[in-house]
Amino acid sequence: MPIRNTTEQWGSVAKLLHWTIALAVLVMIGLGWWADRLPYGPLKVDVFWVHKSLGMLILAAMVLRLVWRLVNPAPPLPAGLKTWERWAAHWTHWGLYGLLIAQPLSGWVINSAANFPLSVFGWFTVPAITAPDEAVKQLAANVHWLLSWLIIGTIALHIGAALKHHIVLKDDVLRRMLPFGKVSS
Amino acid sequence: MTRLLVSAWLVLVAMPALASDWTIDHDNSRLGFVGTQSGAEFTGEFEKFEADMRFDPDNLEASGFDVTIDVTSFNSSSSDRDSTVAGQDWFWFSQFPAATYTTESIRQTGPDEYEALGKLTIRKKTRTVNLPFKWVIDGDTAKMDGQTTLTRTHFNVGIGEWRSGKTVGLKVDVQVDLTLTR
Repeated sequence: MPIRNTTEQWGSVAKLLHWTIALAVLVMIGLGWWADRLPYGPLKVDVFWVHKSLGMLILAAMVLRLVWRLVNPAPPLPAGLKTWERWAAHWTHWGLYGLLIAQPLSGWVINSAANFPLSVFGWFTVPAITAPDEAVKQLAANVHWLLSWLIIGTIALHIGAALKHHIVLKDDVLRRMLPFGKVSS
Repeated sequence: MTRLLVSAWLVLVAMPALASDWTIDHDNSRLGFVGTQSGAEFTGEFEKFEADMRFDPDNLEASGFDVTIDVTSFNSSSSDRDSTVAGQDWFWFSQFPAATYTTESIRQTGPDEYEALGKLTIRKKTRTVNLPFKWVIDGDTAKMDGQTTLTRTHFNVGIGEWRSGKTVGLKVDVQVDLTLTR
């Protein structure tokens, strides 16, 4: 498997980043949902701490991924797609990039405005990016909530489209992102 | 005449016991703390405290501090944390609104450096606490700079499910940074 993307398939770096982040995002949705519903106490603080730590790692991975994407052209979409399908694919992908960078940033703002310290898994401490501020915290929390639903919706579109390509259109779009996927050409 | 004599006698008798009395300049003083939460530090302060500060480097015998801290003035710039510590597992503001520190002795440890030994009481739990500090006098102004480390559970602060110290660390640094005048 090539490291860089080719015209037929994604390279190993893009695949590794895609699947690692995909798994992390699923874990994040679960942790966020759970922590939000827990009564105030050390367990809630601990679950949020894992959520925040993982979120910071996703942010770093997403920045890396964005850079990698910009210097590595993506394998082209299969021929024969309608204009709206190309448009949808384009915006779903770039939407996910934007959302998965904006979401950890909004979380970082909540944590900073709440004046909570953050040591990522106890490895290193990240600084606050805003001053303590109750109003900013509330606003960022609302943004974080809204973005979480946008992410869930966009992921649903993304998975739905990948499955459609695989099952209905029977092309290589899903297979070329699979970890050990064999492309037909 | 009798009254005058009594007054003079009182002054004379009282004199040797008096080290200088200092007044805290609250605008330029801070009673702060540093705790840890999920492995990282947070800071805050008690905004309200009153103290009877008697200090004379040449008369440490007569020197001493009597401090009363309004624990409800806990401010760590975090509405979540500040409201949590009001609860029963933490300072329990409604039951124990004040903490006190009363020195029993002060000894010199170096030039301008001293160590106070005193009783700290929080939530009716009392322990002896050493407070090493610097006291630098410049005319009628003094700067006091001290720091000590407490174990919060010695005072039942952060009990119940918070007791283990895994989420909120057990050690808390207390920083005394005062400007005083006489």
